[in-house]
Amino acid sequence: MNAHAIPASEAGYNFAYLDEQTKRMIRRALLKAVAIPGYQVPFGGREMPLPYGWGTGGMQLTAAILGAGDVLKVIDQGADDTTNAVSIRRFFARTAGVATTERTPAATVIQTRHRIPETPLAAGQIMVYQVPIPEPLRFIEPSEQETRTMHALGDYGVMHVKLYEDIATFGHIATSYAYPVTVDGRYVMDPSPIPKFDNPKLDRSPALMLFGAGREKRLYAVPPYTRVVSLDFEDHPFQIQQWEQCCAICGSGDSYLDELIVDDAGSKQFVCSDTDYCAQRAQQQESRP
Amino acid sequence: MYRAPSELLQAAFDDPVLDAQQSFRAALKALAEPGTRQPLAVVAAVDHLQAATYALCLSLLDNDTPLWLAPAFDTPAIRANLAFHCGCPVVEAREEAMFALLDAAALDDLSGFYNGSERYPDQSCTLLVQLDRLDRGPALSWQGPGIDGNRLVGLPLKPAFWQQRAARSDFPRGLDALFCADGEVLGLPRSTRIGDSLAEVA
Repeated sequence: MNAHAIPASEAGYNFAYLDEQTKRMIRRALLKAVAIPGYQVPFGGREMPLPYGWGTGGMQLTAAILGAGDVLKVIDQGADDTTNAVSIRRFFARTAGVATTERTPAATVIQTRHRIPETPLAAGQIMVYQVPIPEPLRFIEPSEQETRTMHALGDYGVMHVKLYEDIATFGHIATSYAYPVTVDGRYVMDPSPIPKFDNPKLDRSPALMLFGAGREKRLYAVPPYTRVVSLDFEDHPFQIQQWEQCCAICGSGDSYLDELIVDDAGSKQFVCSDTDYCAQRAQQQESRP
Repeated sequence: MYRAPSELLQAAFDDPVLDAQQSFRAALKALAEPGTRQPLAVVAAVDHLQAATYALCLSLLDNDTPLWLAPAFDTPAIRANLAFHCGCPVVEAREEAMFALLDAAALDDLSGFYNGSERYPDQSCTLLVQLDRLDRGPALSWQGPGIDGNRLVGLPLKPAFWQQRAARSDFPRGLDALFCADGEVLGLPRSTRIGDSLAEVA
Protein backbone atom coordinates (compact mmCIF):
# COMPACT_ATOMS: atom_id res chain seq x y z
CA MET A 1 0.00 0.00 0.00
CA ASN A 2 1.15 3.51 -0.71
CA ALA A 3 0.70 5.08 2.67
CA HIS A 4 1.15 8.54 1.19
CA ALA A 5 -1.62 8.09 -1.35
CA ILE A 6 -4.52 7.74 1.05
CA PRO A 7 -5.06 10.72 3.30
CA ALA A 8 -6.56 10.21 6.72
CA SER A 9 -10.07 8.94 6.16
CA GLU A 10 -12.80 7.41 8.27
CA ALA A 11 -11.65 4.08 9.68
CA GLY A 12 -13.79 1.06 8.92
CA TYR A 13 -14.87 2.15 5.45
CA ASN A 14 -13.35 1.55 2.05
CA PHE A 15 -12.01 4.61 0.23
CA ALA A 16 -15.06 6.72 -0.75
CA TYR A 17 -17.44 4.41 1.14
CA LEU A 18 -18.47 1.95 -1.61
CA ASP A 19 -16.81 -1.45 -1.92
CA GLU A 20 -14.55 -2.07 -4.92
CA GLN A 21 -16.90 -4.43 -6.73
CA THR A 22 -19.75 -1.94 -6.56
CA LYS A 23 -17.44 0.76 -7.87
CA ARG A 24 -16.38 -1.47 -10.78
CA MET A 25 -20.04 -2.15 -11.65
CA ILE A 26 -20.84 1.58 -11.64
CA ARG A 27 -17.63 2.37 -13.54
CA ARG A 28 -18.48 -0.11 -16.31
CA ALA A 29 -21.97 1.42 -16.57
CA LEU A 30 -20.42 4.90 -16.76
CA LEU A 31 -18.18 3.87 -19.66
CA LYS A 32 -21.26 2.65 -21.57
CA ALA A 33 -23.17 5.81 -20.66
CA VAL A 34 -20.38 7.96 -22.11
CA ALA A 35 -20.29 5.81 -25.27
CA ILE A 36 -24.08 6.22 -25.79
CA PRO A 37 -24.71 9.88 -24.88
CA GLY A 38 -28.13 10.46 -23.32
CA TYR A 39 -29.04 6.76 -22.98
CA GLN A 40 -30.04 5.68 -19.48
CA VAL A 41 -27.89 2.75 -18.34
CA PRO A 42 -29.42 0.56 -15.59
CA PHE A 43 -27.08 -0.07 -12.67
CA GLY A 44 -27.24 -1.97 -9.40
CA GLY A 45 -27.96 0.94 -7.09
CA ARG A 46 -26.85 0.48 -3.51
CA GLU A 47 -28.36 1.78 -0.32
CA MET A 48 -26.51 4.82 0.85
CA PRO A 49 -26.50 6.16 4.40
CA LEU A 50 -29.09 8.82 3.58
CA PRO A 51 -32.59 8.61 2.11
CA TYR A 52 -33.55 8.50 -1.54
CA GLY A 53 -34.15 12.00 -2.76
CA TRP A 54 -31.08 13.35 -0.99
CA GLY A 55 -28.70 12.60 -3.80
CA THR A 56 -27.95 8.88 -3.44
CA GLY A 57 -27.55 8.49 -7.22
CA GLY A 58 -25.12 11.37 -7.49
CA MET A 59 -23.22 10.13 -4.44
CA GLN A 60 -22.75 6.65 -5.89
CA LEU A 61 -21.34 8.15 -9.09
CA THR A 62 -19.08 10.49 -7.12
CA ALA A 63 -17.88 7.56 -4.98
CA ALA A 64 -17.09 5.54 -8.11
CA ILE A 65 -15.08 8.25 -9.86
CA LEU A 66 -13.38 10.01 -6.93
CA GLY A 67 -9.61 9.70 -6.50
CA ALA A 68 -7.17 10.90 -3.88
CA GLY A 69 -6.14 13.90 -6.00
CA ASP A 70 -9.64 15.19 -6.70
CA VAL A 71 -11.03 18.43 -5.32
CA LEU A 72 -14.75 18.14 -4.64
CA LYS A 73 -17.40 20.85 -4.70
CA VAL A 74 -21.02 20.09 -3.79
CA ILE A 75 -23.91 22.43 -4.44
CA ASP A 76 -27.61 22.30 -3.70
CA GLN A 77 -29.69 24.71 -5.79
CA GLY A 78 -26.49 26.63 -6.44
CA ALA A 79 -25.58 26.97 -2.76
CA ASP A 80 -22.51 25.45 -1.11
CA ASP A 81 -23.84 26.03 2.40
CA THR A 82 -27.21 24.26 2.50
CA THR A 83 -27.80 21.05 4.45
CA ASN A 84 -27.63 18.64 1.51
CA ALA A 85 -24.46 20.17 0.10
CA VAL A 86 -22.72 20.40 3.47
CA SER A 87 -23.50 16.82 4.46
CA ILE A 88 -22.47 15.27 1.13
CA ARG A 89 -19.25 17.31 1.05
CA ARG A 90 -18.46 16.25 4.61
CA PHE A 91 -19.30 12.62 3.77
CA PHE A 92 -16.63 12.44 1.08
CA ALA A 93 -14.12 14.49 3.06
CA ARG A 94 -14.47 11.86 5.81
CA THR A 95 -14.71 8.64 3.79
CA ALA A 96 -12.26 9.55 1.00
CA GLY A 97 -10.17 12.23 2.65
CA VAL A 98 -10.40 14.34 -0.51
CA ALA A 99 -9.91 18.09 -0.60
CA THR A 100 -13.09 20.13 -0.88
CA THR A 101 -13.75 23.61 -2.16
CA GLU A 102 -16.54 26.08 -2.74
CA ARG A 103 -14.77 27.64 -5.71
CA THR A 104 -16.04 26.41 -9.07
CA PRO A 105 -12.73 26.80 -10.98
CA ALA A 106 -10.79 24.96 -8.22
CA ALA A 107 -12.99 21.83 -8.32
CA THR A 108 -12.24 18.74 -10.40
CA VAL A 109 -15.55 17.07 -9.50
CA ILE A 110 -18.74 19.04 -8.82
CA GLN A 111 -21.76 17.18 -7.47
CA THR A 112 -24.88 19.23 -7.95
CA ARG A 113 -28.52 19.24 -7.07
CA HIS A 114 -30.50 21.21 -9.63
CA ARG A 115 -28.07 23.88 -10.84
CA ILE A 116 -25.08 24.38 -13.12
CA PRO A 117 -22.60 26.94 -11.77
CA GLU A 118 -22.63 30.41 -13.36
CA THR A 119 -18.83 30.39 -13.70
CA PRO A 120 -18.13 28.64 -17.01
CA LEU A 121 -16.92 25.06 -16.60
CA ALA A 122 -13.48 24.06 -17.86
CA ALA A 123 -12.15 21.07 -19.79
CA GLY A 124 -11.27 18.25 -17.42
CA GLN A 125 -13.98 19.05 -14.88
CA ILE A 126 -16.68 16.48 -14.15
CA MET A 127 -20.23 17.47 -13.18
CA VAL A 128 -22.28 14.88 -11.26
CA TYR A 129 -26.01 15.58 -11.27
CA GLN A 130 -28.47 14.23 -8.72
CA VAL A 131 -31.52 13.02 -10.62
CA PRO A 132 -34.91 12.17 -9.09
CA ILE A 133 -36.71 10.84 -12.20
CA PRO A 134 -34.34 10.12 -15.10
CA GLU A 135 -37.01 9.20 -17.64
CA PRO A 136 -38.23 12.30 -19.55
CA LEU A 137 -41.14 10.30 -20.97
CA ARG A 138 -42.32 8.99 -17.58
CA PHE A 139 -45.03 11.60 -16.98
CA ILE A 140 -46.56 10.76 -20.34
CA GLU A 141 -45.98 7.01 -20.40
CA PRO A 142 -45.80 5.22 -17.05
CA SER A 143 -44.66 1.87 -18.47
CA GLU A 144 -40.92 1.21 -18.54
CA GLN A 145 -41.50 -1.32 -21.33
CA GLU A 146 -43.11 1.36 -23.45
CA THR A 147 -40.64 4.16 -22.74
CA ARG A 148 -37.74 1.82 -23.51
CA THR A 149 -39.33 1.00 -26.86
CA MET A 150 -39.91 4.70 -27.54
CA HIS A 151 -36.23 5.41 -26.91
CA ALA A 152 -35.23 2.45 -29.07
CA LEU A 153 -37.32 3.74 -31.95
CA GLY A 154 -36.51 7.41 -31.37
CA ASP A 155 -40.26 7.88 -31.07
CA TYR A 156 -40.39 11.25 -29.33
CA GLY A 157 -43.39 12.96 -30.96
CA VAL A 158 -45.28 12.79 -27.69
CA MET A 159 -42.76 15.16 -26.05
CA HIS A 160 -43.67 17.84 -28.53
CA VAL A 161 -47.37 17.18 -27.87
CA LYS A 162 -46.70 17.88 -24.18
CA LEU A 163 -44.97 21.16 -24.97
CA TYR A 164 -47.75 22.03 -27.43
CA GLU A 165 -50.36 21.47 -24.70
CA ASP A 166 -48.48 24.10 -22.66
CA ILE A 167 -48.82 26.55 -25.52
CA ALA A 168 -52.49 25.71 -26.02
CA THR A 169 -53.21 26.24 -22.30
CA PHE A 170 -50.87 29.09 -21.34
CA GLY A 171 -49.83 30.65 -24.63
CA HIS A 172 -46.19 29.74 -24.04
CA ILE A 173 -44.10 26.71 -23.05
CA ALA A 174 -44.63 26.69 -19.29
CA THR A 175 -42.07 23.97 -18.49
CA SER A 176 -39.46 25.84 -16.48
CA TYR A 177 -37.22 23.10 -15.06
CA ALA A 178 -36.22 19.56 -16.09
CA TYR A 179 -36.78 20.87 -19.59
CA PRO A 180 -36.21 18.01 -22.05
CA VAL A 181 -33.22 18.06 -24.40
CA THR A 182 -32.02 16.05 -27.39
CA VAL A 183 -28.45 14.78 -27.02
CA ASP A 184 -26.30 14.55 -30.16
CA GLY A 185 -29.42 14.37 -32.31
CA ARG A 186 -30.53 11.00 -30.90
CA TYR A 187 -31.73 10.48 -27.31
CA VAL A 188 -34.20 12.74 -25.55
CA MET A 189 -32.87 13.25 -22.03
CA ASP A 190 -34.01 14.76 -18.75
CA PRO A 191 -31.26 17.22 -17.77
CA SER A 192 -32.33 16.72 -14.11
CA PRO A 193 -34.43 19.43 -12.44
CA ILE A 194 -32.09 22.28 -13.37
CA PRO A 195 -33.94 25.46 -14.36
CA LYS A 196 -34.20 25.78 -18.13
CA PHE A 197 -31.98 28.83 -17.59
CA ASP A 198 -29.12 26.33 -17.29
CA ASN A 199 -29.98 24.25 -20.39
CA PRO A 200 -27.80 26.29 -22.77
CA LYS A 201 -24.79 25.60 -20.51
CA LEU A 202 -25.10 21.88 -21.37
CA ASP A 203 -24.61 22.47 -25.08
CA ARG A 204 -21.03 21.79 -26.17
CA SER A 205 -19.76 22.22 -22.61
CA PRO A 206 -16.06 21.42 -22.23
CA ALA A 207 -16.88 19.47 -19.02
CA LEU A 208 -18.03 15.86 -18.75
CA MET A 209 -21.60 15.58 -17.44
CA LEU A 210 -22.66 12.49 -15.45
CA PHE A 211 -26.19 11.94 -14.15
CA GLY A 212 -27.17 9.51 -11.39
CA ALA A 213 -30.62 8.47 -10.18
CA GLY A 214 -30.38 6.36 -7.01
CA ARG A 215 -33.99 5.30 -6.50
CA GLU A 216 -34.55 4.61 -10.20
CA LYS A 217 -31.09 3.01 -10.55
CA ARG A 218 -30.20 4.69 -13.82
CA LEU A 219 -27.17 6.68 -14.86
CA TYR A 220 -26.43 8.58 -18.05
CA ALA A 221 -23.86 10.96 -19.46
CA VAL A 222 -23.13 13.79 -21.84
CA PRO A 223 -19.49 13.87 -23.01
CA PRO A 224 -17.72 17.21 -23.54
CA TYR A 225 -18.51 19.22 -26.68
CA THR A 226 -21.73 17.30 -27.33
CA ARG A 227 -24.70 18.94 -29.01
CA VAL A 228 -27.50 19.35 -26.46
CA VAL A 229 -30.62 20.98 -27.91
CA SER A 230 -33.69 21.97 -25.90
CA LEU A 231 -36.93 20.86 -27.56
CA ASP A 232 -39.01 23.68 -29.04
CA PHE A 233 -41.03 24.82 -32.04
CA GLU A 234 -40.09 27.14 -34.92
CA ASP A 235 -42.78 29.63 -33.85
CA HIS A 236 -42.18 29.08 -30.12
CA PRO A 237 -38.38 28.93 -29.83
CA PHE A 238 -36.74 27.83 -26.58
CA GLN A 239 -36.30 30.74 -24.19
CA ILE A 240 -34.66 31.04 -20.78
CA GLN A 241 -35.96 32.87 -17.72
CA GLN A 242 -35.24 36.58 -17.40
CA TRP A 243 -35.58 38.98 -14.50
CA GLU A 244 -36.24 42.70 -14.30
CA GLN A 245 -34.22 42.80 -11.06
CA CYS A 246 -30.52 42.41 -10.43
CA CYS A 247 -28.95 40.49 -7.52
CA ALA A 248 -29.38 42.47 -4.27
CA ILE A 249 -25.91 41.41 -3.06
CA CYS A 250 -23.59 41.49 -6.08
CA GLY A 251 -25.73 43.33 -8.62
CA SER A 252 -25.42 40.62 -11.26
CA GLY A 253 -27.88 41.06 -14.09
CA ASP A 254 -27.20 37.79 -15.85
CA SER A 255 -27.26 35.06 -13.20
CA TYR A 256 -30.15 32.87 -12.04
CA LEU A 257 -31.95 34.68 -9.21
CA ASP A 258 -33.81 33.32 -6.17
CA GLU A 259 -36.73 35.33 -4.82
CA LEU A 260 -36.60 36.00 -1.08
CA ILE A 261 -39.39 37.37 1.11
CA VAL A 262 -37.53 39.54 3.61
CA ASP A 263 -40.19 40.87 6.01
CA ASP A 264 -43.77 40.40 7.22
CA ALA A 265 -45.02 42.95 4.71
CA GLY A 266 -43.99 40.61 1.92
CA SER A 267 -41.13 42.73 0.58
CA LYS A 268 -39.03 40.86 -1.96
CA GLN A 269 -35.39 40.69 -2.78
CA PHE A 270 -33.67 38.78 -5.53
CA VAL A 271 -30.26 37.20 -4.97
CA CYS A 272 -28.00 34.91 -6.98
CA SER A 273 -28.74 31.23 -6.53
CA ASP A 274 -25.02 30.45 -7.11
CA THR A 275 -23.46 31.45 -3.79
CA ASP A 276 -19.84 31.09 -4.93
CA TYR A 277 -20.40 33.23 -8.02
CA CYS A 278 -22.16 35.87 -5.93
CA ALA A 279 -19.53 35.92 -3.17
CA GLN A 280 -16.70 36.23 -5.70
CA ARG A 281 -18.40 39.16 -7.39
CA ALA A 282 -19.13 40.88 -4.08
CA GLN A 283 -15.51 40.40 -2.98
CA GLN A 284 -14.19 41.87 -6.22
CA GLN A 285 -16.43 44.90 -5.81
CA GLU A 286 -15.24 45.45 -2.22
CA SER A 287 -11.58 45.20 -3.14
CA ARG A 288 -12.02 47.73 -5.91
CA PRO A 289 -11.03 51.25 -4.75
CA MET B 1 -9.88 -30.23 -10.97
CA TYR B 2 -7.94 -27.47 -12.67
CA ARG B 3 -5.92 -25.34 -10.31
CA ALA B 4 -4.08 -22.18 -11.34
CA PRO B 5 -0.39 -22.92 -10.75
CA SER B 6 0.59 -20.53 -8.02
CA GLU B 7 4.12 -20.11 -9.36
CA LEU B 8 2.53 -18.30 -12.33
CA LEU B 9 0.95 -15.67 -10.11
CA GLN B 10 2.50 -12.26 -9.69
CA ALA B 11 1.60 -9.15 -7.78
CA ALA B 12 -0.86 -6.78 -9.46
CA PHE B 13 -1.50 -3.10 -8.62
CA ASP B 14 0.67 -1.63 -5.84
CA ASP B 15 -2.45 0.10 -4.57
CA PRO B 16 -5.53 -1.91 -5.56
CA VAL B 17 -7.93 0.94 -4.72
CA LEU B 18 -6.30 4.04 -6.11
CA ASP B 19 -4.52 2.42 -9.06
CA ALA B 20 -7.83 0.89 -10.18
CA GLN B 21 -9.49 4.28 -9.75
CA GLN B 22 -6.79 6.05 -11.75
CA SER B 23 -7.01 3.51 -14.55
CA PHE B 24 -10.80 3.78 -14.66
CA ARG B 25 -10.60 7.57 -14.83
CA ALA B 26 -8.14 7.24 -17.72
CA ALA B 27 -10.60 4.95 -19.52
CA LEU B 28 -13.51 7.29 -18.74
CA LYS B 29 -11.60 10.28 -20.09
CA ALA B 30 -10.43 8.28 -23.10
CA LEU B 31 -14.03 7.46 -24.07
CA ALA B 32 -15.31 10.94 -23.15
CA GLU B 33 -12.63 12.56 -25.32
CA PRO B 34 -12.13 10.04 -28.13
CA GLY B 35 -8.70 9.98 -29.73
CA THR B 36 -6.81 11.45 -26.78
CA ARG B 37 -4.20 9.37 -24.96
CA GLN B 38 -4.59 8.96 -21.22
CA PRO B 39 -1.97 7.57 -18.82
CA LEU B 40 -2.83 4.39 -16.89
CA ALA B 41 -1.55 3.16 -13.55
CA VAL B 42 1.69 1.20 -13.69
CA VAL B 43 1.65 -2.57 -13.20
CA ALA B 44 4.03 -5.39 -14.19
CA ALA B 45 3.20 -7.04 -17.51
CA VAL B 46 2.11 -10.69 -17.62
CA ASP B 47 3.62 -12.57 -20.58
CA HIS B 48 2.78 -10.34 -23.53
CA LEU B 49 -0.18 -8.75 -21.80
CA GLN B 50 1.38 -5.29 -21.55
CA ALA B 51 1.15 -3.11 -18.47
CA ALA B 52 -1.44 -0.77 -20.01
CA THR B 53 -3.80 -3.51 -21.14
CA TYR B 54 -3.41 -5.38 -17.88
CA ALA B 55 -4.14 -2.22 -15.88
CA LEU B 56 -7.49 -1.90 -17.68
CA CYS B 57 -8.28 -5.57 -17.00
CA LEU B 58 -7.50 -5.12 -13.30
CA SER B 59 -9.67 -2.03 -12.99
CA LEU B 60 -12.71 -3.18 -15.01
CA LEU B 61 -13.02 -6.97 -14.86
CA ASP B 62 -14.49 -9.14 -12.12
CA ASN B 63 -16.75 -12.17 -11.74
CA ASP B 64 -19.62 -10.30 -13.45
CA THR B 65 -17.70 -9.87 -16.71
CA PRO B 66 -17.24 -12.85 -19.04
CA LEU B 67 -14.03 -12.30 -21.01
CA TRP B 68 -13.03 -13.56 -24.46
CA LEU B 69 -9.29 -14.00 -25.03
CA ALA B 70 -7.65 -13.66 -28.42
CA PRO B 71 -5.32 -16.65 -29.08
CA ALA B 72 -2.25 -14.48 -28.42
CA PHE B 73 -3.39 -13.90 -24.83
CA ASP B 74 -4.52 -17.43 -24.10
CA THR B 75 -1.50 -18.48 -22.05
CA PRO B 76 -1.37 -20.25 -18.67
CA ALA B 77 0.20 -17.22 -16.95
CA ILE B 78 -2.38 -14.74 -18.27
CA ARG B 79 -5.25 -17.10 -17.44
CA ALA B 80 -3.88 -17.71 -13.94
CA ASN B 81 -3.39 -14.03 -13.14
CA LEU B 82 -6.75 -12.95 -14.54
CA ALA B 83 -8.43 -15.78 -12.62
CA PHE B 84 -6.74 -14.76 -9.39
CA HIS B 85 -6.80 -10.95 -9.56
CA CYS B 86 -10.01 -10.38 -11.52
CA GLY B 87 -11.92 -13.61 -11.10
CA CYS B 88 -13.50 -13.12 -14.50
CA PRO B 89 -14.85 -16.18 -16.33
CA VAL B 90 -13.05 -16.79 -19.63
CA VAL B 91 -15.57 -17.78 -22.31
CA GLU B 92 -15.04 -19.60 -25.59
CA ALA B 93 -18.08 -18.14 -27.37
CA ARG B 94 -17.65 -14.53 -28.50
CA GLU B 95 -21.39 -13.92 -28.11
CA GLU B 96 -21.14 -14.44 -24.34
CA ALA B 97 -18.31 -11.97 -23.77
CA MET B 98 -18.83 -8.62 -22.06
CA PHE B 99 -15.18 -7.80 -22.66
CA ALA B 100 -12.79 -9.05 -25.30
CA LEU B 101 -9.03 -8.92 -25.02
CA LEU B 102 -7.63 -8.50 -28.52
CA ASP B 103 -4.36 -7.84 -30.28
CA ALA B 104 -3.89 -6.27 -33.71
CA ALA B 105 -4.05 -9.66 -35.42
CA ALA B 106 -7.56 -10.26 -34.04
CA LEU B 107 -9.02 -7.03 -35.48
CA ASP B 108 -9.71 -8.38 -38.95
CA ASP B 109 -12.73 -10.23 -37.66
CA LEU B 110 -15.06 -8.68 -35.07
CA SER B 111 -17.97 -10.97 -35.88
CA GLY B 112 -19.74 -12.59 -32.99
CA PHE B 113 -19.09 -9.92 -30.36
CA TYR B 114 -22.46 -8.69 -29.13
CA ASN B 115 -23.16 -5.12 -30.24
CA GLY B 116 -26.23 -4.62 -28.06
CA SER B 117 -29.91 -4.30 -28.88
CA GLU B 118 -31.97 -1.25 -29.71
CA ARG B 119 -33.55 -1.49 -26.26
CA TYR B 120 -30.37 -2.28 -24.32
CA PRO B 121 -27.44 -0.94 -26.37
CA ASP B 122 -25.33 -0.80 -23.18
CA GLN B 123 -25.06 -4.59 -23.07
CA SER B 124 -22.65 -4.67 -25.99
CA CYS B 125 -19.14 -6.07 -25.73
CA THR B 126 -16.24 -3.72 -24.91
CA LEU B 127 -13.04 -4.38 -26.86
CA LEU B 128 -9.73 -4.03 -25.02
CA VAL B 129 -7.19 -3.86 -27.82
CA GLN B 130 -3.45 -4.04 -27.27
CA LEU B 131 -1.34 -2.38 -29.96
CA ASP B 132 2.39 -1.72 -30.36
CA ARG B 133 1.78 2.02 -30.38
CA LEU B 134 -1.12 4.49 -30.55
CA ASP B 135 0.15 6.80 -33.30
CA ARG B 136 1.97 6.91 -36.65
CA GLY B 137 -0.86 5.22 -38.50
CA PRO B 138 -2.88 6.83 -41.29
CA ALA B 139 -4.49 9.96 -39.80
CA LEU B 140 -8.28 9.89 -39.87
CA SER B 141 -10.65 12.69 -38.96
CA TRP B 142 -12.78 11.77 -35.93
CA GLN B 143 -15.97 13.63 -35.09
CA GLY B 144 -18.79 13.32 -32.59
CA PRO B 145 -19.45 13.62 -28.85
CA GLY B 146 -16.32 14.46 -26.87
CA ILE B 147 -14.60 16.08 -29.83
CA ASP B 148 -14.56 19.85 -30.38
CA GLY B 149 -14.97 19.99 -34.17
CA ASN B 150 -12.79 17.18 -35.39
CA ARG B 151 -9.64 15.44 -34.25
CA LEU B 152 -6.99 13.78 -36.40
CA VAL B 153 -6.06 10.40 -34.97
CA GLY B 154 -3.42 8.14 -36.47
CA LEU B 155 -4.04 4.72 -34.96
CA PRO B 156 -1.91 2.06 -36.68
CA LEU B 157 -4.87 -0.03 -37.83
CA LYS B 158 -5.59 -1.81 -41.07
CA PRO B 159 -8.61 -0.85 -43.20
CA ALA B 160 -10.17 -4.20 -42.26
CA PHE B 161 -10.77 -2.94 -38.71
CA TRP B 162 -12.68 0.11 -39.90
CA GLN B 163 -14.77 -2.05 -42.23
CA GLN B 164 -15.53 -4.47 -39.40
CA ARG B 165 -16.44 -1.58 -37.08
CA ALA B 166 -18.74 -0.03 -39.64
CA ALA B 167 -20.39 -3.39 -40.27
CA ARG B 168 -21.15 -3.80 -36.56
CA SER B 169 -22.30 -0.19 -36.02
CA ASP B 170 -25.92 0.82 -36.14
CA PHE B 171 -26.19 3.51 -33.49
CA PRO B 172 -27.16 3.11 -30.67
CA ARG B 173 -25.90 -0.43 -31.28
CA GLY B 174 -22.18 -0.85 -31.72
CA LEU B 175 -18.83 -1.86 -30.25
CA ASP B 176 -16.73 0.39 -28.01
CA ALA B 177 -12.96 0.00 -28.08
CA LEU B 178 -10.16 0.96 -25.72
CA PHE B 179 -6.74 0.80 -27.41
CA CYS B 180 -3.69 0.34 -25.18
CA ALA B 181 0.04 0.76 -25.68
CA ASP B 182 3.01 2.14 -23.76
CA GLY B 183 1.12 2.76 -20.54
CA GLU B 184 -1.64 4.74 -22.23
CA VAL B 185 -5.23 4.19 -23.33
CA LEU B 186 -7.09 5.73 -26.27
CA GLY B 187 -10.87 5.41 -26.59
CA LEU B 188 -13.06 4.82 -29.61
CA PRO B 189 -16.73 4.77 -28.54
CA ARG B 190 -19.45 3.77 -30.99
CA SER B 191 -20.62 7.40 -31.06
CA THR B 192 -17.47 8.55 -32.90
CA ARG B 193 -17.93 9.18 -36.61
CA ILE B 194 -14.88 8.52 -38.76
CA GLY B 195 -14.43 10.89 -41.67
CA ASP B 196 -12.10 10.92 -44.62
CA SER B 197 -8.42 10.22 -44.25
CA LEU B 198 -6.06 13.18 -44.01
CA ALA B 199 -4.84 12.49 -47.52
CA GLU B 200 -8.35 12.76 -48.90
CA VAL B 201 -9.10 15.90 -46.87
CA ALA B 202 -5.90 17.59 -48.11
